[in-house]
Amino acid sequence: MQMPVLWVPIAIPLLAAAALLSVPRRFLFAKEAVSLFAAALNLVAAWTLFGKEAVYAAPWAGLGAEFSLRLYHFSGFIMLAAACFGFFVLVYSVVFMRGKDHARSFFVFFLVSLSLTNGAVLADNLIVLLFFWEGLLLTLFGMIAIGRPQAFRTATKAFIIVGICDLCMMLGIGLAGHLAGTLAISAIRLPLDALGGLAFVLLVIGAISKAGSMPFHSWIPDAAEDAPLPFMAILPASLEKLLGIYFLARISLDMFRLTPASWASPFLMVIGCITIVAAVMMALIQKDYKRLLSYHAISQAGYMILGIGTCLPVGIIGGLFHMINHALYKTCLFLTGGSVERQAGTTNLEGLGGLARKMPATFACFLVAAASISGVPPFNGFFSKEMVYEAALERNFLFYLAAAAGSFFTAASFLKLGHAAFLGPLRQELKSVRETAWPMLLPMLTIAGICVFFGVNNSWPLEHLIRPVLGPLSAAGHGSPGVPGEHMLVTAVILLGAFLNHVAGAAMAGSGLKAIDHIYRAPVLSGIYEKAQRKVFDPYVAGMKIAENFAKFSAAVDRKMDVFYDKGIVAAITAAGHRLGRLHTGNYSTYIIWAVAGMLLALVFVAG
Amino acid sequence: MATLLILLPLAIIMVLNLPFKDAFKRAAPFLGGCFYLLQAALVVFHPAAFWDDIYNPLEAFFAFECSTDALSLVLFLSIAIVGFVAVLVGAHALKNPRQRFFLINLLLLATVGMNANVMVTDLFSTYVFLEVTAVASFILIAMMKGEGALEGAFKYIILSVIASVMMLLSLALLVLVTGQTSFEAVRAGLGASPESLFVKMAMILFVCGLFVKGGVVPFHAWVPDVYASAPSFVSVFLAGIVTKVSGVYILMRLLVSVFGFEASVQQVIMFVGALSIVVGALAALAQRDFKRMLAYSSISQVGYIVLALGCGTPLAVAGAAFHLFNHAVFKSLLFVNAQGVEERCGTTHMEMVSGLGSRMPVTGWTSVIALLSTAGVPPLAGFWSKLLIIMALLNASRYGYAAVALFSSVLTLAYFLSMQRRMFFGKPHKGMENIREAGPVIVGVEIILAGITVGAGLLYPLVLEYFILPVQRVVG
Repeated sequence: MQMPVLWVPIAIPLLAAAALLSVPRRFLFAKEAVSLFAAALNLVAAWTLFGKEAVYAAPWAGLGAEFSLRLYHFSGFIMLAAACFGFFVLVYSVVFMRGKDHARSFFVFFLVSLSLTNGAVLADNLIVLLFFWEGLLLTLFGMIAIGRPQAFRTATKAFIIVGICDLCMMLGIGLAGHLAGTLAISAIRLPLDALGGLAFVLLVIGAISKAGSMPFHSWIPDAAEDAPLPFMAILPASLEKLLGIYFLARISLDMFRLTPASWASPFLMVIGCITIVAAVMMALIQKDYKRLLSYHAISQAGYMILGIGTCLPVGIIGGLFHMINHALYKTCLFLTGGSVERQAGTTNLEGLGGLARKMPATFACFLVAAASISGVPPFNGFFSKEMVYEAALERNFLFYLAAAAGSFFTAASFLKLGHAAFLGPLRQELKSVRETAWPMLLPMLTIAGICVFFGVNNSWPLEHLIRPVLGPLSAAGHGSPGVPGEHMLVTAVILLGAFLNHVAGAAMAGSGLKAIDHIYRAPVLSGIYEKAQRKVFDPYVAGMKIAENFAKFSAAVDRKMDVFYDKGIVAAITAAGHRLGRLHTGNYSTYIIWAVAGMLLALVFVAG
Repeated sequence: MATLLILLPLAIIMVLNLPFKDAFKRAAPFLGGCFYLLQAALVVFHPAAFWDDIYNPLEAFFAFECSTDALSLVLFLSIAIVGFVAVLVGAHALKNPRQRFFLINLLLLATVGMNANVMVTDLFSTYVFLEVTAVASFILIAMMKGEGALEGAFKYIILSVIASVMMLLSLALLVLVTGQTSFEAVRAGLGASPESLFVKMAMILFVCGLFVKGGVVPFHAWVPDVYASAPSFVSVFLAGIVTKVSGVYILMRLLVSVFGFEASVQQVIMFVGALSIVVGALAALAQRDFKRMLAYSSISQVGYIVLALGCGTPLAVAGAAFHLFNHAVFKSLLFVNAQGVEERCGTTHMEMVSGLGSRMPVTGWTSVIALLSTAGVPPLAGFWSKLLIIMALLNASRYGYAAVALFSSVLTLAYFLSMQRRMFFGKPHKGMENIREAGPVIVGVEIILAGITVGAGLLYPLVLEYFILPVQRVVG
């Protein structure tokens, strides 16, 4: 059944981007109008397509690379979510980007990203998926690069890290396609043997690097400071999380059919736990609004990977629910960060304080989103985290411990952030700050509203969005909807502990910003922190050092080879030529001897 | 009628030498040029009446057997092109009418020998016409009476005599075995006694004699001295066609029509060919004089033809014939360039001329085309012939020789590019700022020859249809 309608969500933003490039600059608001219109249309298209099933296939590059798209519940859900965030962030950006350089490039990249995301989600062929996936690498690079003047370095860093991970994914795709004999995602079923396991690991690297997991995360905090803020809200906070976790779920659930007994399950869970704890510890000590948020964007990806990694239905549902929840509150948080940046002129926490009185609506949004991310009931993050906890506890107590510790520090760091930015005494230079403009406020308020809705009314998203993804698995009766009550007490204790810790820390240090300094200065931690701040643990820095040494070594080898080719071979050939030239003395008796000798030799050869 | 190609130049020589007034003798270059154009036209338009009927009007007192095939046509065309170029350039270079007159006579005389050699089907006639060509060539080399030219001519004579001895000895042996000298009879006679050591020695002696004529290592030593010291327009003629007909073509014809491809002889031929390629190219790298470098380059390129010939498959022989034609064109072109440079600068020594490219653009660019064709760069004609040769070697599983042929192309490019850089690129030396482009005749000839090289390369499908496939059929 051919459904060319599946082209629509890919084509709309792409055509709009093309139109944007051809609109003359002097038409005021044309770029904003076109972008908004396209994002709205994309949202309508995604809404219309949601819940339907369709396939589309056309012959493409040959060798099994058929251009096939498949719409079903999961892809429709991700596409709808992406379209929602695309629309909200775009509304926000219209104001935020006003008067900034490269605004038009930003909108073009934005729309192309939407188009590519839709394509990647719909793709039912690994090569097609890779095509759209790699395209996102370009828009990622472009959107970071148009930020601050020094953003180009960060863009390069992001490009290299993500590019290498995509390369791994490419290898994985090749391997998986080779092993399975087909490149159609919905037809691939692979066992986790030696080669299959390698393909699995390579594909997972591609997926979790897109989701921003450790150890492929190190560009995100840098980009938070350098790139234009809506970029953080749309790509690392929402679209990339959606895509990465979507693909991880496809790999784990469809292509490899993970079971709790396989080695891949603890493999994923360990990655998830490390990401949760390490990133949140880094978030704790950040002194910049956006940078702090970016570490949480990494840390929260860990919960999703942990949830899917448990291979238990409740964990998977929790992980996917957490994915959509995270996209909601993290986008909202980044948007509040953007409002603060635009109104107060800085996101450095040392220069902020007491903004709650000046920007009450922003503060309200922040409160909701921060409560969600910290897992405070009854906001949405609480429910998804509880489900992940439950699954983790069922697997092993250690995983639960790591997840719970993550929660503690998450709460602590948001208490610190809120305290430092919005509470406390209002600074002199911030007296004239006003509430942010309504087109920026509106998306924040809407998203915060959804956060509350998904929390209070959590059975609705679970029933309508998440559970159908699992299909037959959930039909088997796994995963009670709503509140897994037995750990609520533990959660309450954790949150209370975090609050007490904050109060005590703030009292000791005298300010909200320094409330966690006692953790920072703890005996073992301080050494680790000090190294982390020097980027000792940044795989990019280490990789670049290795690359530099390798480059030096190669250059040295290259020099030697140059000498060999330019001097050695040339000298040998020229010497041979001169020797031959000198043999031709002009003495004809010599020449006669040559000729006769040649004839005799030929005679001897033929006779013998 | 095809024998007219022998008799007509002979008649022109006779008429020119009748005691007419000098005014008539001044028309000699015109007559010579017309003859070569006629020959080229006969090949290209191929009137069946002319070619199909081999009729010899002088049979009564000077009998020799003739025949023509596709291979002969290639050679007739090459002879016509190079002869025409030599007439034009020679007549342009020589201002003295007497010298011009001599030149035309000698060129036509050599052409009589060559055209006959292409056609005859008799071993002894082959030998006789070889000597006709050789004698005309000796005088051509020495006609300017320069010291070097006289010395070169002398060396050529000495080595030619040695070649003659070898060939006569071989002839004697062959007559001893077969009692005949005509191709068919000898072939039949040889077929009756295969594997005879006697026959093999006879063959190899003849082949060695031809090696001397063709200038193949180690029988080549006369070549650099002669080409470098003879006037450039004579070198055009010698390098372009004389050595190719009297050395390579006759070897080709004998192998195809008389001796057949005997394994040990084949091995000798291929080895000598490969040796020529490498030694010629290496020696060319070390040269400082343009014409001397061209001479070594000729040795190297003849090596390609001989190597392909030794391989013996129809494709290889067709490739050899095509390379022979290409070589006639691009080597003539390079010697014409040398003539142009020599005229304007008074020398062809590479360290004394430089930066001519800006002063003599046509000469510079046609030289680039010729050298690229020699080195086998697509899409020029030389690329296709080298490709055919290498393909044929690979098909015959001669991988080592194929590798030699392939990598020597790099050497070819190396020595020619260094020549081009020194002579044509860069800034002119002091005192060379006022050099002008060579005269219109030289420029015209350069453009024609470069056009043939480019055209034969671009129109390769036609070449394949009318040229390579027929030759292949002759062999196969």
